[in-house]
Amino acid sequence: MENVVSNNEDWKECFSQLAPGLVLFARQWVQSRADAEDIVQDAFVRFWRRQHSIQNRALLFATVRSIGLDLLRRDARRARREAVAVLESDQTIEPHFSGGDESQRALADAVDRLPQEQREVVVMKIWNELTFQEIGTVLGISQNTAASRYRYALTSLKKHLLPQ
Amino acid sequence: MNDFSDIESELKKLQPAPVEANLLARVEKALLEESSFPTAAVVARKRSRSANWISLGLGLGLAAAAGFLMLARVNDNQSAKNQPSVAAVKPAPNERPATINPGRMIPSGLTEVVYHTRDEGLHYPDGAAQPVRRMRYHTRETLRWQNAQTGASLRVSYPSEEVVLLPVSGQ
Repeated sequence: MENVVSNNEDWKECFSQLAPGLVLFARQWVQSRADAEDIVQDAFVRFWRRQHSIQNRALLFATVRSIGLDLLRRDARRARREAVAVLESDQTIEPHFSGGDESQRALADAVDRLPQEQREVVVMKIWNELTFQEIGTVLGISQNTAASRYRYALTSLKKHLLPQ
Repeated sequence: MNDFSDIESELKKLQPAPVEANLLARVEKALLEESSFPTAAVVARKRSRSANWISLGLGLGLAAAAGFLMLARVNDNQSAKNQPSVAAVKPAPNERPATINPGRMIPSGLTEVVYHTRDEGLHYPDGAAQPVRRMRYHTRETLRWQNAQTGASLRVSYPSEEVVLLPVSGQ
């Protein structure tokens, strides 16, 4: 993530590096990967058009979050229908993570079951390498609160996956 | 945070699912489309009727201000006005600021025209022994500002309503 450049000519490199983590982040508000990619596309275009520095990752993630929440509010009814349809059918939600063995899939499931406010902190911290200060900026909370949520999340994951 | 190093390392082994191959192309296309609509500072606006929207916005703003002022002026002011004029024109204030700041709009006049008066009869305010006559005036006030340096002027006109309670003499 450190070699993300701010030169406008290299937006493809920037986007290629950021996209998987951004899509993972966006999937917290939508069921399908396609919808998450739409959110990321919209956010990145909006972000780039305003010529923000790509180093300002907090703003980029805040843009993704804002669009995701807007979509959630706007299409709440549709989202509920989709969720019910998924539950009632054998259709499985596209996995958020690629590959992995049984224990890793169990860990991914445990991450999915985290409370929203903890999960988004973990996603930004682990797979997008944001600092707690940046996470606090994205969420509008203090960095101490962000760190606290992160600790709660990891404690919960540890309890579920590594029982003493 | 060292207590969590094991779970952190396990989490980092999970790789986010790859994005669709065409996402990059979609973003590129969107950026190209967006580039034809850059910021207003770069490209002149194509809409020739934009001035109408500005006028509409200004008009609505002034109408809102006028409505607010009209409501604010409706009061039951007990202080008597001995000379309720049917139509009154106040002269422009002669006072000028000691120093004229170039580029600043300064008030240059206020006109108040009473275009309707209604006598609402005698009333007894709470606890009062003497009746008062309630007069309702509908007026139009016009405020003017002028820039002393450039001569530019601004005029705002709005309707107002005023209720005056006049003490009734015992004659």
